[in-house]
Amino acid sequence: MEESQAQPSKIQSLLSSLTAEGIQNAARAMTEMIGETFTVTDPNISSVKFTEIPQILGGPENDAVGIYLRIEGNISGQIMLIVPYSKALELADLLMGEPIGTTQSLGRIERSALAELGNLTGSFFLNAIADSTGVYVRPSPPAVIVDMVGAIMDIILATCDIQSEEVLLIQAKFVRNGRETQADFWVIPDNITINTLTEKATQENEG
Amino acid sequence: MKDNIPVGLGEIKLSQDPEDILVAYGLGSCVGVGMADPQLHIAGLLHAVLPHNPNGNISSSPKYVNNGIELLFNELISRGAHPARLIIRVAGGANMLNAPGFTQSFNIGSRNVEAAYETLQRLKLKITSQEVGGTIGRTVRFYVRDGRMTIRTLGNQEREI
Repeated sequence: MEESQAQPSKIQSLLSSLTAEGIQNAARAMTEMIGETFTVTDPNISSVKFTEIPQILGGPENDAVGIYLRIEGNISGQIMLIVPYSKALELADLLMGEPIGTTQSLGRIERSALAELGNLTGSFFLNAIADSTGVYVRPSPPAVIVDMVGAIMDIILATCDIQSEEVLLIQAKFVRNGRETQADFWVIPDNITINTLTEKATQENEG
Repeated sequence: MKDNIPVGLGEIKLSQDPEDILVAYGLGSCVGVGMADPQLHIAGLLHAVLPHNPNGNISSSPKYVNNGIELLFNELISRGAHPARLIIRVAGGANMLNAPGFTQSFNIGSRNVEAAYETLQRLKLKITSQEVGGTIGRTVRFYVRDGRMTIRTLGNQEREI
């Protein structure tokens, strides 16, 4: 019994370190892309139940932005980053180098900037999985969805049975040129990704 | 006015209190099916997630459109509702991912709506009104008193269907 209880925390810790590595690498890549230092500070990673996400985001009817990537390659799966709409506007300001409060709505360029952030975060998360497990994975182009929290989460629910599963909550500060915004991200790797990591964690336990 | 009664993912909620409003918040590809007998002031709202139960009817669950509609219908009939009097309204079933490359593999919203049509047809039930498909999420309110249904989408006023 003790062994089976120890296993989820092992996977949790593996996922946490992969995600932390992923967002730091993404920050480095953003820095290179925009030519200015872009950092992610104070990342706090915890796990929450999937069904609790709507309440944390203010309720299932609240407006939010989802950045969605599919995983293709030797394993397939999906990653969704969700932020409240107001935070997405602040992130867009940060990415575009504008003072916080400038962006009032998400046009094509702002969505593209957010997609790039999701793309980099997702890619580096996947690269970390690939490096750690030896499987070949690549992300699809990101889709940016602006809608109610519940409707965005349906995308994940529709493709995997995750209702009782826990997902990673990353709370971090994004900083550019002294300006910063706090954002909560959810990384929701699907069962196939989790299974790959379980195997990895089992191998590490045996090794 | 009484508080709204939330209907969560994969749930059916029933009420016989005319003051009650049953609400499914933020339906994306999920489907909401409301059935009401206005004469008895009894109504129920289903919030289904997936079209068909892969296990057949062995483990019936309102998470699935086909099971959920049957469960809702049977429950209303067992409480005295008459099939001919039922007001039936269907909403949701959006295809949330319409970005290039995603559309074909993510038509779960359309499949949910199809499953609702098939099940209602099999039960010989007619839809009174509906708003389905599209690419945006909807919050659905179903009024026990008269079987009215309203829909709210992001940035828009609530409207009746």
